[in-house]
Amino acid sequence: MSTTNLSRKRKASTSNALPEPEIDSDAEFASDLLDGALSQSEDESFHSGSESEVEEEIEEDEEDEEDEEDEGDEDEADEESEDDDDGIREQLRNLSTSESRSRPTVNGKEPPVQEKEEVRIGAHMEDLETNYTVTTDANGNVRYVYQEIDPVYDSDDSDAGEQTNTIGNIPLSFYDSYPHIGYDINGKKIMRPAEGKALDALLDSIELPKGWTGLTDPMTGKPLKLSRYELEILKKITRNEVPADGYDPYPDMVEYFTNTEEIMPLSAAPEPKRRFIPSKHEAKRVMKLVKAIREGRIKPHREEAPEEEQNVVNYDIWADEQPRPDNTMHMPAPKLPPPGYEDSYHPPPEYLPSAKEKAAWEATDPEDRDRPYLPTDHAALRKVPGWDNVKMTFERCLDLYLAPRIRRSKLNIDPESLLPKLPSPDELRPFPSTCHTIFSGHTGRVRAVAVDPTGTVVASGGDDGTLRVWDILTGRQIWSRRLSREDAVDVLAWRPGTDAFILTAAVAETLYFILPHALPSVTPAIGRASLALLDAGFGYAAKPTSSTDHGLKKEPSATWSRPSAALADDGVLLQAVLRAPIKAITWHRRGDYLATVAPRGQSHAVAIHTLSRHATQLPFRKLKGLPQTAAFHPSKPIFFVATQRSVRSYDLAAQQLLRILQPGARWISSIDVHPGGDNVLVGTYDRRLLWHDLDLSTKPYKTLRYHEKAIRAVKFHKGGLPLFADASDDGTVQVFHGKVVGDLMENATIVPLKVLRGHAVTGALGVLGLDWHPVQPWVVSAGADGTCRVWC
Amino acid sequence: MAKIKKKGASGQAKNYITRTQAVRKLQISLQDFRRLCIFKGIHPREPRNKKKVSKKATPATTFYYTRDIAYLLHEPLLQKFRDHKATAKKIARALGRDEVSDAKRLENSLPRMKLDHIVKERYPTFVDALRDLDDALSMLFLFANLPSTTAVPAKTIALCQRLCLEFEHYLIVSHSLKKTFLSIKGIYYQATVQGQDIMWLVPYRFVQKMTGDIDFRIMGTFIEFYTTLLGFVNYRLYTSIGLVYPPKFNASSDESGGELGAITLESKSISGPLAIQNGTSGNTASKAASAAAQAAADKVALQNGDAEEIPAQEEPSAEVEVVDDKIDTFETVTGEGADVLPQPQVSNTEAATLFSSFTFFLSRETPRAPLEFILKAFGCKRVGWDAVLGDGAFTTNERDPNITHQIVDRPNLPPNAFSAIKGGEDEAGAPAPGARSRVPGRIYVQPQWVWDCVNQGKLLRPDLYAPGATLPPHLSPWVKPKKGAYDPTAPLEEQEKEGEAELHAEEEGEESDAEEVEHANGGPFDAIFDDEVEAGEGMDVDGSESEGESEAEAAAEVDDEEEEDDEELSETEVERLRYQRELEAEAAGQPFATADAGQMPGKKPGEAKKKAELKKRAEKEELDRQRMMLPNKKRKLFDKMQYGNQKREAEAEKLRKKRRKLEKEKLAAQAAKAK
Repeated sequence: MSTTNLSRKRKASTSNALPEPEIDSDAEFASDLLDGALSQSEDESFHSGSESEVEEEIEEDEEDEEDEEDEGDEDEADEESEDDDDGIREQLRNLSTSESRSRPTVNGKEPPVQEKEEVRIGAHMEDLETNYTVTTDANGNVRYVYQEIDPVYDSDDSDAGEQTNTIGNIPLSFYDSYPHIGYDINGKKIMRPAEGKALDALLDSIELPKGWTGLTDPMTGKPLKLSRYELEILKKITRNEVPADGYDPYPDMVEYFTNTEEIMPLSAAPEPKRRFIPSKHEAKRVMKLVKAIREGRIKPHREEAPEEEQNVVNYDIWADEQPRPDNTMHMPAPKLPPPGYEDSYHPPPEYLPSAKEKAAWEATDPEDRDRPYLPTDHAALRKVPGWDNVKMTFERCLDLYLAPRIRRSKLNIDPESLLPKLPSPDELRPFPSTCHTIFSGHTGRVRAVAVDPTGTVVASGGDDGTLRVWDILTGRQIWSRRLSREDAVDVLAWRPGTDAFILTAAVAETLYFILPHALPSVTPAIGRASLALLDAGFGYAAKPTSSTDHGLKKEPSATWSRPSAALADDGVLLQAVLRAPIKAITWHRRGDYLATVAPRGQSHAVAIHTLSRHATQLPFRKLKGLPQTAAFHPSKPIFFVATQRSVRSYDLAAQQLLRILQPGARWISSIDVHPGGDNVLVGTYDRRLLWHDLDLSTKPYKTLRYHEKAIRAVKFHKGGLPLFADASDDGTVQVFHGKVVGDLMENATIVPLKVLRGHAVTGALGVLGLDWHPVQPWVVSAGADGTCRVWC
Repeated sequence: MAKIKKKGASGQAKNYITRTQAVRKLQISLQDFRRLCIFKGIHPREPRNKKKVSKKATPATTFYYTRDIAYLLHEPLLQKFRDHKATAKKIARALGRDEVSDAKRLENSLPRMKLDHIVKERYPTFVDALRDLDDALSMLFLFANLPSTTAVPAKTIALCQRLCLEFEHYLIVSHSLKKTFLSIKGIYYQATVQGQDIMWLVPYRFVQKMTGDIDFRIMGTFIEFYTTLLGFVNYRLYTSIGLVYPPKFNASSDESGGELGAITLESKSISGPLAIQNGTSGNTASKAASAAAQAAADKVALQNGDAEEIPAQEEPSAEVEVVDDKIDTFETVTGEGADVLPQPQVSNTEAATLFSSFTFFLSRETPRAPLEFILKAFGCKRVGWDAVLGDGAFTTNERDPNITHQIVDRPNLPPNAFSAIKGGEDEAGAPAPGARSRVPGRIYVQPQWVWDCVNQGKLLRPDLYAPGATLPPHLSPWVKPKKGAYDPTAPLEEQEKEGEAELHAEEEGEESDAEEVEHANGGPFDAIFDDEVEAGEGMDVDGSESEGESEAEAAAEVDDEEEEDDEELSETEVERLRYQRELEAEAAGQPFATADAGQMPGKKPGEAKKKAELKKRAEKEELDRQRMMLPNKKRKLFDKMQYGNQKREAEAEKLRKKRRKLEKEKLAAQAAKAK
């Protein structure tokens, strides 16, 4: 408290300090006015308390925060001071015992500052509590009033600038009608300094206060006063004099050298002799050096050891060797490979290049040669010529400092170890390996081939429009019939089951049901059974179409009829004409239903026919993608349809889509379902054979790409052997071992077994059709070369 | 959100620095940077991703590790470089002012660079230094044989020579030279020092081509480092076996071509001269003593040699004892180990004793330096040579009775050929032809004998290497027999695949048939060019061969077609055909055997081929089957490996084929001779 007080006083005194020396020193300045002016000023400062308090306030802004905090209180105190409540002040003063008051009191009045100080005694007792004041609230409880935080930059700085008016460059008269004259930097009003009473004004007009200028400071609104010092400076400036005291703009020049040239020297004494003779002292010193050099005490130049000695090593650099920790970044230069046999001056004769090799070597560009020299034979050591070792060494040097070094891990594996251990084909026997029989007779390509359910005959159909049946063992043609002159027999299928003997063949839009009479296996009983099957449907045919479509007279999806008599005589007993060329036929396992696929049929593409009723259903009004082929599930009522890119399986009973297989192929050519029903084989025109495990995923379990051309047909062996085969346009039939285990945990094993070559590739087509023997490990293939082959 | 990373402020971009940046950072010239890199062994690095590293659009080519360069910043040599540059400027200025003496003084005060600390830094242990000695030795041996030019000062060459000789001396004393090989590029040596295999190449002594775009400043920098390195290595090696380093260097002997003899080793303990060269060293000493009589007649030399003989025999015994302890202890260690771990290399004792009991004489046409070095390294104590070959020989007298082996490299002239040319008058007392004639009881061999003996670790039959004889092929001792690779040392039958020989025989048969046809066609020419054709490698022969081949190919094609047809028929078919043939033969009334015989010889040539092809096909099928089941990635890897292997195999097969042909020709020639 005392320190703040002191500083306050110091401040107060400095504000008054300026006039004091002036009083003593200044004689020339209106001496007659001095006394009065001084007294006047003092009087004013203490009498007109409110004015002085404003000054105090301004000063306080410069001081610590502690002082600023109580401005409000101060104002209160100011009001009190106006009441001249001396008694209370006395009491307060007595409370502050430690306070030392150096400031003289005039008229028994205290400067209001100190009163404020006393209010804050409690606050000053502890430094920590200085940021608030304790007052009492309306209930009489203690109330902490925290000081207002001045959020300006350097707000904690005691040297903050003086409070200034912020109204800018406008006449002060604008504020004449207001109690304030502007705003300070905090936006607080700067109150107009109280103007003196009329008497004071009069007195002022009579006795000019010291430094009176008659001007008003626009910043503060108070009369602008100038100190004598300032007046002096102003005066000097107006007179064009140097404003600072004691500065001499034109000092006398100090001449360091005389500027006057003497004509006559001052001394006429002759030059002394010692100026012409060498110094004896110097001579002495030089002689000392010379002597020292002669004696070898001083060596004029640093002595250099001879070159040879410098190069001789005379200490062990590895006396205290410490191995460097291995760092991957430290790469020693790779060593050059040791010379081989062909580097020898006299290599074994087989290493010498033949004339042809030599010519080839010489013809190649030096940079492309695998070796920069040819092995040469020199019969004796004396005949060995020189070699450009300098160039070789130089290249090595360049490699050493210019070539980046990389660590390369060298793969040193026996390639055999990469190959999977496949069971030997011998263990997986039986499988077809050789061509047993060739059926030749077709002119043009053989499009389709099918082995009958008993496994005795093979039916084949081709571009010549004929349907032929062959004996599987002998290759003898048993039966043949031309079905069409223009169109080819595209697909063939035997009705499954041995109770009847029906062959279906598709020629363009027509589906034929054939009972080849001439066959030895067609016993009268079987013949009758087959006939009964085919005829059972007659009578059904007209009904459904008429009943469903009354007004529109919709075209039937298929027209079932008896073929011409000529055909009927040859055993073609039934025909169904569809709307688009049929490309695939598949029979349901019971032999009553069969599905046909006609890719160009759009909504009629896939049709399921019921033989017993001669009915045709179109299960898919709208099918996404171009249908390619279809298949029945071997045991469940599931129907697979392969479109161009995907295979969909439908539950026929629930009539809903089960699964969409995504083989990832561009164009599916054929599919086949494993007899187990859980695996589907997909052959594609983009040379891939895909094995789908329905339990695993919609993506293929294995992708096999071994064909050079498109795959036309894929077939599982249906008679219990774990075999499957595919036919491709590259003229080969590939046979695989594909074993499916009942255990769900184990995946199917697929082993390539045999590539059957034999069919010639004609017109970029190889093998077009394929079928397995129902029991034996025999496969029958139909080739574009006009032959069918039985492989066993 | 994570803080956005500024490009080029971290990671690879920060780890690598381009060469230009490095040079700027170090504030030295590019040449100095190069030198510094060579000295410090700093080499460019290949960043994993060049694009990430470079800050510019076009990636720079050379990158250094930033840490390497930062580490160069503290190199004391950098200050030396700057001092050197400053002094060089002063010299240039002095020369410009014609102040020659000043320039000279300044030149003497040019800062000298010491590379000791760098040697220690790059090779913290001695073994590290030995491991990296290959390039150093090859280069130093090359420079030791270079003529001095402005680019290669004589001082450097002398230093290289001295260091190389010192190193050779160590190898001789420690018997650590293991293998050596005469290649067309020079002589390869391999030594094993402290378990490290060091291989280096010494060029043949021809004047080297110094032209072309060869920067000798770079080579000089390397040499500067390598000389320092080899100096320290030599010191360590010498002190490790109790020898004083540096050994005494006899300048006068060196000037008269003493080479190895110019250096005298001293043992630390005995402090007397350790006579490694034995007889040879004694000889030099005597020669040095009678310096004036150096050009004396052969007679004097001969006497000298005789006189020296006795002390020469005494000295080795002393020397051998000194070395013996070392050898013995070493030998027992290896002997114990040899039972457990078979060591393919020649043991030190074997090396020490291979030639120890012989006295060699080198004819003047043989390369003396390598022979002397090798013979001594493998235990030979006494090597003499013709006086022309330089100083330091055990004896220069060719007729010295001590000599057991003489190495000659000149065509074998019939003994009387020389006299016939010279005429009869000199016959009585002329020394020259007399000297050329054989001395009885001495083995004459060609230089290759020494190399082959050393590589095989045993003495070979000298008659195979007799002067004028056709030498057996000189084989590299470093080629290890690999599976599938051709090995010229093994007999052909062991290496070839099944059926390969027959196949080749057939092919050759076809070729030869074709050639025969060719010969028959070109009847008249045959008579004219007969000799040439027999002689071998004329253009005519080439032409005929190629033509013959083309014909053969055509024939083969026809054959192939037929064979294909044959193959299509299965074996049963063949059986059937055969049966039919038999029947036909029976019908014709001929015995079947003749029919068969008539058919078979015609069939036979194709049979082996067919068989081989069938087998090949079966193998290929099996391989394809296995390959099918590989995942794509593995299949690619497999194919890559197969490619390399197949290339190697093809090469081996080609070599085998060539060899078979050569052997066949040889047999034919022998048969012709026998007839």
